[in-house]
Amino acid sequence: MSMPRTANPRWKLALDVERCIGCHACSVACKVENNVPLGRYRTKVYYWEHGHYPKVTRNFLPTLCMQCEDAPCLKACPNDAIDHDARGVVRIDADRCENAGKCESACPYAAIGCDDNDIADKCDFCAHRTEVGMEPACVETCPAEVFHFGDANHPESPYSLFMKKYGKETAVLKPEEKTKPSVSYRGHAKEMEKKIPKGKLHDPYSYEIETWTALESQFPPPKRVMWAKVVRTADGSFTNDKPEAQA
Amino acid sequence: MSLDKFKRPKIVVTPPTPPQSASRRSVMKQGLAALATLAVGETIWLTPGVAEAATQECCITKKPLIGQRAAIRRISGDGRRKNDYTKAKIIKSVCLNCSTVCGIQAYVIDGKLVKVGGNPEDPNNGKSLCAKGQSGPTINTYAERMLYPLKRVGVRGEGKWKRITWDEAYDEMARRMRKAIDEGKPEEIAIQIGRSRIAEEMTRFLNAIGSPSLFNHRALCSSNKRAANYVCLGETDWETGDFANSKYILNFGTNLYEAHQGAIHVAKRVIKGRFDNGAKFVTVDVRCSNTAGRSDEWLCNTPGSEGALALGMGNAIMMAGKHDAKWLDTWSNVNAADLKKWIAQYTPEWAEGVTGIAAKDIRRIGLEFAAAAPAAVAFTNRGSGAHYNGFNNDRAVILLNAIVGSLGAVGGYCYGEEPTRVPPRVFPNPQPIPPSPKAKSAIENPEEWPLANKWQRMKVGQIVYRGLKEGRGKVQVYLSYTVAAPQTWPEGRSLTVDVLKDEKLVPFHACSDVVYSEQAHYADMILPDASYMERWGFDTRNNMELRDYVTLRQPIIPPPGECVSFVDVMIQLGKRISPETAKYFAFKDHEEWMKLRCAGLTARVGEDGFEYMKKHGVWQDMSKPKYYALYGWELSAAQMKDARVDEKTGDIFKANAAGKEAKIGLMVDGKPRRGFATPSRKFSVYHEDIEAAAKERKFDEDGGKGMPEYFPIPSIAKMKPEQLHLVTFKWNVHTQGRTQSQKFLSEIVHHNPMWINAKTASERNLKTGDWVEITTYRPHGHAMGPGAGEVLGTAVIPVWVTEGIHPRVLAVSNTLGNLFHGRAATATNGARQDLPVWNDSLVSEDQDLSEDIWWDPRRGGTGSGYNINAILPIQPAPLVGMQGWYDTVCSIRKV
Repeated sequence: MSMPRTANPRWKLALDVERCIGCHACSVACKVENNVPLGRYRTKVYYWEHGHYPKVTRNFLPTLCMQCEDAPCLKACPNDAIDHDARGVVRIDADRCENAGKCESACPYAAIGCDDNDIADKCDFCAHRTEVGMEPACVETCPAEVFHFGDANHPESPYSLFMKKYGKETAVLKPEEKTKPSVSYRGHAKEMEKKIPKGKLHDPYSYEIETWTALESQFPPPKRVMWAKVVRTADGSFTNDKPEAQA
Repeated sequence: MSLDKFKRPKIVVTPPTPPQSASRRSVMKQGLAALATLAVGETIWLTPGVAEAATQECCITKKPLIGQRAAIRRISGDGRRKNDYTKAKIIKSVCLNCSTVCGIQAYVIDGKLVKVGGNPEDPNNGKSLCAKGQSGPTINTYAERMLYPLKRVGVRGEGKWKRITWDEAYDEMARRMRKAIDEGKPEEIAIQIGRSRIAEEMTRFLNAIGSPSLFNHRALCSSNKRAANYVCLGETDWETGDFANSKYILNFGTNLYEAHQGAIHVAKRVIKGRFDNGAKFVTVDVRCSNTAGRSDEWLCNTPGSEGALALGMGNAIMMAGKHDAKWLDTWSNVNAADLKKWIAQYTPEWAEGVTGIAAKDIRRIGLEFAAAAPAAVAFTNRGSGAHYNGFNNDRAVILLNAIVGSLGAVGGYCYGEEPTRVPPRVFPNPQPIPPSPKAKSAIENPEEWPLANKWQRMKVGQIVYRGLKEGRGKVQVYLSYTVAAPQTWPEGRSLTVDVLKDEKLVPFHACSDVVYSEQAHYADMILPDASYMERWGFDTRNNMELRDYVTLRQPIIPPPGECVSFVDVMIQLGKRISPETAKYFAFKDHEEWMKLRCAGLTARVGEDGFEYMKKHGVWQDMSKPKYYALYGWELSAAQMKDARVDEKTGDIFKANAAGKEAKIGLMVDGKPRRGFATPSRKFSVYHEDIEAAAKERKFDEDGGKGMPEYFPIPSIAKMKPEQLHLVTFKWNVHTQGRTQSQKFLSEIVHHNPMWINAKTASERNLKTGDWVEITTYRPHGHAMGPGAGEVLGTAVIPVWVTEGIHPRVLAVSNTLGNLFHGRAATATNGARQDLPVWNDSLVSEDQDLSEDIWWDPRRGGTGSGYNINAILPIQPAPLVGMQGWYDTVCSIRKV
């Protein structure tokens, strides 16, 4: 399954989000492909439910690294461990990463980060797949044909064909960040950009149903609905008191 | 250590009054109490050992980051693994992480399954898979897979096991089966299945031993819908909407973007229809599913009123003269004039009163639908079907297609020949083939629901345990496979568990499973199964491209440890029970069986059939045109040979194999045509068999009249103003009972509060995160069990306040609330317990499960959810027996 490409492809991606059904296939495809640990994400789909009964709408927004041309993470890394590759993809040199965490603080899209026992990690458009002629895992599996990926230098690539038809209707996320993303969106709900954290990786809690109606990106414990209050007893076992709800 | 208090809802189940004695009641409570003290895994494990200590050290110690840190982060060594696809071996097979059965192509690198994608050659899904499909590779390397046969040593349900050999397992099972056969009671050997997809193999096995007792779950799934299609079309139980070519897609209660059977196949084409073909997409649902929330219009109706809505629309179309009278007069067994007279009673104004949808909207949508015809399709699934009146709801929706003449049309309500008939025809089973059993089972074929087994053996699965308890039938040997009835059955954690634990009612239970499931917990023997990526089988379903097709499931990698596929278990048993059974299993194993069957394909494809199937994973019959307007296909000269045409009616008759004359078609436009596979060879609006069955069972409600009448649901008709409807639903990343162990799926959805409408919540002073006690009641209605209107049970559950649900409806997912299935499913972060059933050299520990389950409540997470099925009553619909999942009446109280 080879993609139309030039000798020197410039990988870009456009997402037609009106078609998205929020199925999370892209997220799970990515997790298995790249063995992304629980609680960490290269790609993540956000939900937003809004409106009043019975006129209720649900919007979805798949997010991933924007492969910015003017990438803040690249500039922030004190170890020069981040650079663009020949395809325009922002890549991490694992052996140079010293776990400094500056990339995470600099990213407006929650797309890069590391924890205290890890190297930095992020989406690289599945470079190991594209180099052997395969589509990125998320692109390949999408049942809704949301992802239009390909060589921007090739006029017949799915990306170029889509942009030719709908380019005028596309926009980047958070244009105010001026990072020149290589990923653009058609038909996304602008409000949902607020759900994507800035300077911090995706909050796993944002998968919870209680966050579907929220336009926030981070849910520290005081903001969470705590279903269970757990107490560790002296003998190491766990008990719970009456479960309490917190605002 | 006991985690159950905060992880699970408190559930109290009260048995129905009449047949229960006081002592019985106390036994049941003790049973539940005993269950509640069992923390996951605790009692099945013996002593912690070396492996656990090693795991903890590896996970907890912060190792310095050096060199290719990739290898360090994950103890499995593949933390930042990059799959080298130049080294990958591609193997085609079929997904089974839900019943949609998408074709897959798997990538194997260095003997390890690293990735699956859709099989581009599969006509239904192509290269697409859903989240569940993508999660597949995590099943094979699941750290808590069962690896060895085990035999119970403690009390049943206590969880103490010892490892045995397969020979011991086979010998004991074969001995017990031989005894039942020798006693002349083969029907007391039963197999309980969930989503098995090996029905042909199981039928051969049971036929060989003479037992009819294959207990399935179709009545818990879709039997009303299937029965409705059989009545109307005769040909098949499942339609194939031509969505990609449609202009109007009218969805009655199908959550096709998340959970429909055929979900991805349908979703792909609905999206194409909507965005590439300009179709309007309207969804009728009591809850704002992702499907409803992404439709052009969401119509939120009263539960169980889908048929009334369809009839109201049909009325609007016919009264406006926008129906296809020519089609009805040619192809329907009730002509246009008669149908118009009958449907006159169901005005949109009447329908408004039943459905809660405004008459003007019913009229408007009906007329929009008719205007788009014949590229218009109205279809159903569980939202309309899982009701007391669901059979007629679905018939009324199918009728809408007939009214506008979109049956079989491009962009309309299409269908093909029954897909399950294709594999035995193209891939014939080896001779000798065992005859159908003579023995009868009142559990497999209960007389109260005469339409359950009329067109296909759909059964009434939800009454199996009640049937055993009431002594309706007996089992000596009970085998279970791909099922978690305590978790997924109505009254599962009460009645089902009660029966499974009772050694008098179930003297011997062997469970084949890949994980330690709730079903396995109550077994006497655990047979470690091969996952769907380690075994053989054919699969098929309706093809959205309207052609017959068959896919091959083949092992991508060998099963680990001593895992053996259930078909291979049956082959071994068949060989051992007696020479009489052994003659039907004269092949080495399932692979050889499949190879023999594939010989049937060789002539069609011009190469070795087995090699063809292994290479492509799918065969599609291109010899026939697409199944558009199948009813209008001309009968061939061969079919017309010796046929008789009734000059007056145009009916065509021919003697069948038994020499009896049967109607095989109709003369239409001067040509002999096959028509519908119904008794009249016409689309059946009316069906005499329904009226006859209703008369026989003394079912005197309007649902028994033979026409697709609307009739009310007795439990709902009797609802008090303060009472509410309780419905369930499925998440897009889960099935009911078999995906919660998969970490990447449970990471996305692991917790299922109860949906409640914002206005309803406000009236009760409830906000998101508050807890309520929910009380459910036993059902009223025809052939229901005792105790109508009495309390069934209570549960305590938190609420999620949303605008996206009907004000009188509460919804809790039918998934989650697992007691078993390992750490991801139970939100229990920590090292794998060391026990003799795991083996690190075969399946290694997974650092995700030992370190990173962030939804563990001890880490501030939301936990693993709530099982609501426990307090849903068993309520089979009249005549067909489908479970009325969405007919439950409840009340709530803030706690």
